[in-house]
Amino acid sequence: MSKRPAVQPALHKVIMVGSGGVGKSALTLQFMYDEFVEDYEPTKADSYRKKILLDGEEVQIDILDTAGQEDYAAIRDNYFRSGEGFLCIFSITEDESFQATQEFREQILRVKNDDNIPFLLVGNKSDLDEKRKVTFQEAQDRANKWGVPYVETSAKTRENVDKVFYDLMREIRARKKDENKTSNGRGKDKNKKKKLKCVIL
Amino acid sequence: MDFDSPEVMKDFPGLYSSEKKKGNDNDYNDECEKTTKKDMLIGKRKEKKDKKDKDKGYAALEGESSDEASTCKSKKSKAFKFTKSKDKEKEKHKDKQESSKKNPPKKSEKPHKVRKGFGPSKHYVGDCTDLADALPIFGVDIEEACTRGRCHDGISIPLPVRECVDYIEATGLTFEGVYKVSGPKNKVSQIRKIYNNRQVVRLNEYDVPTATSLLKMFLRDLPEPIFTNELLIRFEEAGAILNYNTREKHLKTLIESLPNLNRLLLGWLIVHLHNVTLKEHINKMNRQALSQALNHTFHISSRLLQALILHQEVLFPNLAIIKYYPPLESESALPDDPVIIEKELSKLESLLSQIHWEMQNGHFSKTREEHLWEVQRVTTELKRKLKKFAKTENTSQQTSQDIKQQSEEKEAEKVLEEPVQVPKLEEATTVNVEVEVKNIELTYDKKIDPESVTESEETANSSDAIKEQRTDSEEEYSDSELSSTDSELLEDVFCQYFDEKIVTLKIKNTLLKDLIESLTENINQEKKEIEDHQKKISNLMRCLPLKPAYRRCLKDPNSFNEVQTLLVRENHMLQIKKLHLVRQVMEQKEQCIDLQAKLKYAMKDNKDLKIF
Repeated sequence: MSKRPAVQPALHKVIMVGSGGVGKSALTLQFMYDEFVEDYEPTKADSYRKKILLDGEEVQIDILDTAGQEDYAAIRDNYFRSGEGFLCIFSITEDESFQATQEFREQILRVKNDDNIPFLLVGNKSDLDEKRKVTFQEAQDRANKWGVPYVETSAKTRENVDKVFYDLMREIRARKKDENKTSNGRGKDKNKKKKLKCVIL
Repeated sequence: MDFDSPEVMKDFPGLYSSEKKKGNDNDYNDECEKTTKKDMLIGKRKEKKDKKDKDKGYAALEGESSDEASTCKSKKSKAFKFTKSKDKEKEKHKDKQESSKKNPPKKSEKPHKVRKGFGPSKHYVGDCTDLADALPIFGVDIEEACTRGRCHDGISIPLPVRECVDYIEATGLTFEGVYKVSGPKNKVSQIRKIYNNRQVVRLNEYDVPTATSLLKMFLRDLPEPIFTNELLIRFEEAGAILNYNTREKHLKTLIESLPNLNRLLLGWLIVHLHNVTLKEHINKMNRQALSQALNHTFHISSRLLQALILHQEVLFPNLAIIKYYPPLESESALPDDPVIIEKELSKLESLLSQIHWEMQNGHFSKTREEHLWEVQRVTTELKRKLKKFAKTENTSQQTSQDIKQQSEEKEAEKVLEEPVQVPKLEEATTVNVEVEVKNIELTYDKKIDPESVTESEETANSSDAIKEQRTDSEEEYSDSELSSTDSELLEDVFCQYFDEKIVTLKIKNTLLKDLIESLTENINQEKKEIEDHQKKISNLMRCLPLKPAYRRCLKDPNSFNEVQTLLVRENHMLQIKKLHLVRQVMEQKEQCIDLQAKLKYAMKDNKDLKIF
């Protein structure tokens, strides 16, 4: 008896991960509502849905903003399972948050059991360049090691905010197309490239 | 109820073979299906045995529950039913099997039941079969049914019971032969499956007999009767007592010794059944007929059931059936009232913690995960709304607090406020500790109503206080006017002006005095009500020892804190709202009195004119 919405555009599920206070919620809110929230309030879990045009195609994005605090780790794990793409965020002004990305990456790979899961490493707070603790190269190296793109953003100035979400959705979409092809066995020979591009600003 | 249970095979060894003979003229496919069905049943029996050995935790599933649920009466009647409608059911079953083969995504009951007995698997299995098999709501003890089929408004009644009762209360009371007429079995077990899958059931898409049969099935499938095995005989003894008062007394003590959840469930049902009998002139189900239709379901004699319905008012005082509004869904319109938002949020949080708990215990399914995202989305949206509201409210809150401070400085206010604040505080604490009590005590039904009791008390009291001061000053004012007019009476120009003033003020004076009188009357009424409520609370506290029941419905310690903080916040918001209301009432009353005074003066003028 569960009611299903009629025909809906493709839905991509994105999960925001990263330590507390790196700006996961700020990025999400900036993307969703074009607003920047100055006051910090730890998130437990929040979920948003938005309809957008992705390369001329109407799609829906579900964003799950998770808790950075370990107190809510159990809740977070329940969501990881259903995530289709991940934005792993750290603050360029805080080295600890950068170190923590390693653990998040491992955890996601463990839950998803898939090394090619759509994933972006995101260095947030690029507007605070004078307080920078993590160099661009350092982060880029880690991203290369993982085979994922690295992007620096600023939730305050909206720099690259759309980009990280759109890039991730493109990866998810490509991934789903690949999966459909292999599962349906209909070998439509399109560009079968593996999405492992690097983004240099 | 479960016609394809292995016990049926035992009782009727020739059941399926005879069917084969009969079905000779049918095509070959049908026969194939029958044999597979038989194999499956045998397989199922084996598994069930295995399972019994392995764990008795989930032992109570479907057919098995009836063994354990004692009283062979119901079993006999079951067997009898089968012989009656055997052929029909077989045919129905064939159809079902065929349709299940045609619609693979539905997967139907077969593979579903075969999997029973295995431990929870960590992979998706189509729909929520995993959850339904491992953690069913039907056929488990009351505590588990309350946790798994949780009502998120804090009332610990298993969801299927709650929704069936709501539906029957809404549409079934006027149905002739309600509880006597039974619904189609396939539909009933279909709904049971939906409940076990934690999916939304829309009972209004079915009919009254289906709902009553579902409720009966739930009760019959309980591994232990509501009256508990230990107390069952004593209940029967008490029910057999001839003297009205002694019987009532005995039943009352027995009911008080029932576990909380059993007592609440029983009370809910008995009050509901009483409501059914109140409409006996339409539904033709008096106490006797109803008891006879239901005593097997409760595993008791119809005499005892009759007695319970008869004494319900004393046995379950202050218990009112509260309609359940499930948590909001993404399609539903979101409320704007912060009070309602808070309430909805706490329901959503309860649902969220339930889903998380299930998942942490290894029960995943695609649909459940989607549900989780959806619930989280609604929660987030509501929280955003609340935040926005809080921001705009922050400023007005300050002003209203100022008003309160001003008024508190005055003595009259203090005197009047004191008797109110004592019960108010008491109520607040009970609310915080025990959601259940709160919900029973304050009718949840009308959404804002729960607060209106205390609200109105405060409104009446404080508004009265303010009014009194105002009249005092008004009187002084008019007195001074009077004295001043004496000296200047000679001047004609002023004379008229003062005359007008004095007369209107005098009129106002009497009007205000009337108002005070009616308000003091109100206060007295409210005071009485407060006393009543206090009595009710203390009664309930005695009936439902707080902590154990609460812990049961909230296993997660986090959710206790959540609920607590939510309630504290809610109370805060209510205070603000109340102050607003008080102010509004005052302003309107003042305007009203002004206008009335003017009106009266004008009328008096008219009269004067006529005289001249």
